Amino acid sequence: MKLQRILAVARKNLRSLRHDKRTVGFLVLMPLLMISVFGYAFGGDPKDLRVYVVNLDQTPANESLAVSIISDLSTRSTLKISKVLDGAGPSDPVDLAQKKVKDADIKAAIIFGANFTRDARFALASIRNSTHALPASFVVYIDGTNPNIVQTIMTDIQKSVQKVLVSPTLGISSPIVAVPQLAYGQDARFIDFFAPGMMGLAAMMVTFMLSIISFVHERTASTLDRLLSTPVTEGEIVAGYAIAFGLVGLIQSIVIITAAVLLFQITIHGSVLLVLLIVFVFGVGTQGLAFLLSSLAKNEFQAIQFFPIILFPSILLSGVFWPIEAVPELIRPVSSFIPLTYAVDAMRSVMIRGWGIGNIWWDLLVLAAFASVMLALSAYGLKKRG
Amino acid sequence: MTRELEPHSIHLKKLTKDFDGLTAVSNLDMSISKGTLYGLIGPNGSGKTTTIKMLVGLLKATSGEATILGEKVPIKKNIAKISYMPQETAVYSELTVHENLEMFAGLYSMDKESFARRENELLSMTDLDERKDSLVSQLSGGMRHRTSLACSLIHDPEIMFLDEPTVGVDPELRVGFWKYFSDLKAKGKTIIITTHYMDEANRCDIVGMMRMGRLIAEGTPKELLKSTNTPDLESAFLAFAKRTGP
Repeated sequence: MKLQRILAVARKNLRSLRHDKRTVGFLVLMPLLMISVFGYAFGGDPKDLRVYVVNLDQTPANESLAVSIISDLSTRSTLKISKVLDGAGPSDPVDLAQKKVKDADIKAAIIFGANFTRDARFALASIRNSTHALPASFVVYIDGTNPNIVQTIMTDIQKSVQKVLVSPTLGISSPIVAVPQLAYGQDARFIDFFAPGMMGLAAMMVTFMLSIISFVHERTASTLDRLLSTPVTEGEIVAGYAIAFGLVGLIQSIVIITAAVLLFQITIHGSVLLVLLIVFVFGVGTQGLAFLLSSLAKNEFQAIQFFPIILFPSILLSGVFWPIEAVPELIRPVSSFIPLTYAVDAMRSVMIRGWGIGNIWWDLLVLAAFASVMLALSAYGLKKRG
Repeated sequence: MTRELEPHSIHLKKLTKDFDGLTAVSNLDMSISKGTLYGLIGPNGSGKTTTIKMLVGLLKATSGEATILGEKVPIKKNIAKISYMPQETAVYSELTVHENLEMFAGLYSMDKESFARRENELLSMTDLDERKDSLVSQLSGGMRHRTSLACSLIHDPEIMFLDEPTVGVDPELRVGFWKYFSDLKAKGKTIIITTHYMDEANRCDIVGMMRMGRLIAEGTPKELLKSTNTPDLESAFLAFAKRTGP
């Protein structure tokens, strides 16, 4: 292996990109777009879900528990109380609110009956006197199309009810409280979980695409024949490619990290350099895989067909968007054969848990093995002559 | 037609290449002395390119063997002493002419000074001085072909395998090319050129005529014309083809 020859191949690839302004733009803007769009789209909980409240509670407002709950609900950003109806109007407020839900104009109608506060106070007194009484209830008439939204609305309502119960006037608190103590990620949001996955995915998409297209072109344009009739060895060609496209993956990760820190204020608890090392090793491996597959493609059109075959399992089974534990058990073992799984796991451990190389050595070892095997096979594939 | 073999030469002994049972090159025996301008002529599919690809190590011979500079093909030790210019314009169209040349110079581990000197020489020979910093994709077909030739000569090789180097080159420049090839030959370089321009083959020291994977005739242009009693190489080729049968 001669460094000068490896660098000549690497420089050729990087220079080719430099002259192609559109590709350079794509390389920088694509990860920026990915992190921004996904970051903003997935970053928060649902907000401003439109609901109606029907308050038929006959207890005077200053003593009404329904009023207290409604006023607490109105402070929450998740729900937006569009209208509070009482029995004063000409039509039945419950019918009206339920129709609005059915027409999908609003997400839910929260309906307090006439005796809500009275029943609630009776139930509370029964608890204090240790006598049996039915709990007071109110109805949440809800559009169940999206289970996530149902969950969000119900959680918010439960929170408001809890808050009213523990208020000084009632002073009721639950006898059992689960206290969460987070080992890591005390201030982590979805974007903190998501950014490492995005970095791995962006590095994979671009290195794979660039490498396979470049290399198929190298074959079809006969420049590969020309290279192979020079002193450059197969290993040096593969290494030159790996350096060039590994660097491209690295630059993309720097764009993503910078954007994630500046736009979404993510906190990186571990070493940024270690994160970049993971991306580089992973990028080199992906490039090797692309190199290997390029020999099976006769032209660029055939090459691009490998893209979804590699991309989809990686997106769905590597834990980028949801935990691997959420993958059905039957196909979960497949995750272990996807290199992105190890890259994302290692990057998350460094960025969220603040782990060092001593803790992520296994992931790094798997990625290094993946890269080595891919590069060795690529070089071997080139050596085989017709 | 026996010729004395120089120490630096190319020898082919019963070199054969089959592709899926189809013989592309059959039992080729050939010896090319140092400082020879050798023209390999023949129609498409006659095995010229396959022969060259075997010699530069891109294809593995099915049987037989070949040596270059005394080393068995595929050569390793002497690989920097040969060059290969493929038939296709195999240069990087997304790089400039200079960057292409620099890349190949890098592969031959050339230092900056000798590269700069050699680059100027080749750019002037190929008339590309003005387009040194143009992207190859912005050049005409002929200019790309000239870039390709310059790339294969950058390291000042001893033996050159040039597959159709004058295709797409305008007549004036083609004359220039041949003059350059003669100059190289005078410096002791060995050049193997495939061409289908029969008049060009006249300028070669030795012409090898290939047909259906076999060498049907070999000799100086004069010898070939004399033995067939024909006025030009094209007629000579047809006469040899007739003699050897289908």
